[in-house]
Amino acid sequence: MRWSATRRAATDSPDLLGALVALGVELRREGLAVGSGQVIAFARAVAALDPSDRDDVYWAGRASLISRHDDIAAFDRAFRRWAGAARGMTMKVSGELPRLTATEQPDPAGVLRRRAATETDCERGGVASSADALRHKRFADCTAEELAALAVLMARLRLRPPSRRARRTRPSPRGRYPDLRRTVRRSMRSSGEMLDPSWRQRRIRPRRLVLLLDVSGSMAGYSRALLQFAHSASRMGGVPTEVFCFGTRLTRVTVALRHRRPDQALARAAESVVDWEGGTRIGDSVRSFVRDWGRRGMARGAVVVICSDGLDRGEPSALAAEMTRLARLTHRIVWVNPLKGDPRYQPLARGMSAALPFVDDFVSGHDLASLEALSALLPELI
Amino acid sequence: MSRPASPGELVVALGQQDYLADRGLATAMFLALSLGRPLLLEGEAGVGKTEAAKALAASFGVELVRLQCYEGIDAGQALYEWDYARQLLHISALSERAAADDRAVEELFGPRFLVERPLLKALRAGAGVVLLIDEIDRADDEFEAFLLEVLSDFQVTVPEIGTIRAEVPPPVIVTSNRTRELHDALKRRCLYHWIDYPTPEREVEIVRARAPEVAGELAAKVTAAVARLRQLDLAKPPGVAETIDWAHALRALGATVLDEASAADTLGAVVKDHDDMLLVRERLGALVGDPAGGNG
Repeated sequence: MRWSATRRAATDSPDLLGALVALGVELRREGLAVGSGQVIAFARAVAALDPSDRDDVYWAGRASLISRHDDIAAFDRAFRRWAGAARGMTMKVSGELPRLTATEQPDPAGVLRRRAATETDCERGGVASSADALRHKRFADCTAEELAALAVLMARLRLRPPSRRARRTRPSPRGRYPDLRRTVRRSMRSSGEMLDPSWRQRRIRPRRLVLLLDVSGSMAGYSRALLQFAHSASRMGGVPTEVFCFGTRLTRVTVALRHRRPDQALARAAESVVDWEGGTRIGDSVRSFVRDWGRRGMARGAVVVICSDGLDRGEPSALAAEMTRLARLTHRIVWVNPLKGDPRYQPLARGMSAALPFVDDFVSGHDLASLEALSALLPELI
Repeated sequence: MSRPASPGELVVALGQQDYLADRGLATAMFLALSLGRPLLLEGEAGVGKTEAAKALAASFGVELVRLQCYEGIDAGQALYEWDYARQLLHISALSERAAADDRAVEELFGPRFLVERPLLKALRAGAGVVLLIDEIDRADDEFEAFLLEVLSDFQVTVPEIGTIRAEVPPPVIVTSNRTRELHDALKRRCLYHWIDYPTPEREVEIVRARAPEVAGELAAKVTAAVARLRQLDLAKPPGVAETIDWAHALRALGATVLDEASAADTLGAVVKDHDDMLLVRERLGALVGDPAGGNG
């Protein structure tokens, strides 16, 4: 056990509740959304245990304040700080803990804003390129301001993966399954005669959409536009969407992208992508997707869209092996490659040619028009 | 059995059911019991999420009511359903005059024709059962919303009968394999615990408890080999359940030691993926810790 149980926890001071609340504050500092309801549950939990036992307080907090495996590390950090502060300051913790220097993280949205602010004045006089010209401009050549304008256009894109028949049924006169409940109800009207049997039909639901975005150095000009695209996609109602970023390793950003405000969502996603603009290991990233998420059910029957230029530092054979596994799990794999926008492009990069046999559709994604084409393609992947 | 007064007591009670819970799990379960909240358990496959609920029910000496979730599960399969076939038979047996009678209708939608499904059963039994909602991530969003309603108030309304409410809420264990993110609202209702792989020493104890006929030395070797397997980069790393299966399999073949030959014969109990199998077969010697086998 991590905490020495002999050390007296500082919670036997009169201000026990204040101290417990302070842990919630620490957790929020770690970026976790901890509501008052959870803090109340935590206080109740501690009251049901022994508040002077550090282990008890630790496990009570873990059970009541977080509800996601990914948050355990952050909880441990916050708890360590909280316990340390509680000891040193004889429990006068009520929000006066030394402010931690936040680790510097790239903030694409901030960059966007800052650059947009400076460039609007001096370069372009506040006038964006017309939407139509923008539609065919390579993302890599866009100014930050143009990217921001594109974001608005992207938000209108609708990604509709093909549908599948769900197990759940709905009433339908043309259905194949008898609806006994309704039949019985209706037969009451005719004194028990089944004059008019009711039927049910299986519902249609959209398939899950999984986006795997390459954010490595060679994709730098495109990754922000693609992340913006992913944000628009994941904010659509009705389509279950999962978003992952990868460079040297894979990071899930689905939760970070949930924010309603795009710049906040992008900032949070950028924070969680550790290797923003490092090298690319596509094979390893596909493998961790398949092993940690795909096999458990996320990829089954899904449409997986991989956005990458295919410039892989890993072994092509490893990538091919992982693509085989991925192809077995999914419904369709679409590979979006910004380099394909160049008519002279040939998929000769070793990684790209290794992956290509397993890809159902190979499309370009260098400008907005090509992403629009992708959105038109998706419903066709039946 | 009376409710445990501390996490330590719960550890002992579960231990009597051959379930060895660590401090974290026992504390989370204890809190779920004392706060009357459902407990959401997550963890890799085969670490004993479902077993925890079974052991809890057994230690209380009560029935385990299990709701296995799957895609498309709806209230009819989880809560209650009318026995339509019998209803129809009953209606057709009634004379026209009798069918027009209100009482006949009432009887038709009375307890006689009600088919109780797990959730209703658990609500009616209250503290007399442990409710296990297994693999909730397999159910769809609509069902989760419905479940949230049930788990918030521990009551449901059956239009034809009325509101059924659990006097004392039953202990509820919810498990998820994280194939999709659960709604925050549901998570807020629950306490949460992530079950990790046990330490090697603890895993030996678990194997000894679950497969008492396996000699201690063999159990230790099997556990060590599984620990090595988990370090290999397998697509499907073995859980504790596989460790126990493997020990059983070796015992069934009459093996008393784990060597390359016996491991090769029983590998299917612990490695369940073709590619993994190829990878492991190359390294059998190192896996069973057999110096003669080289290090693969």
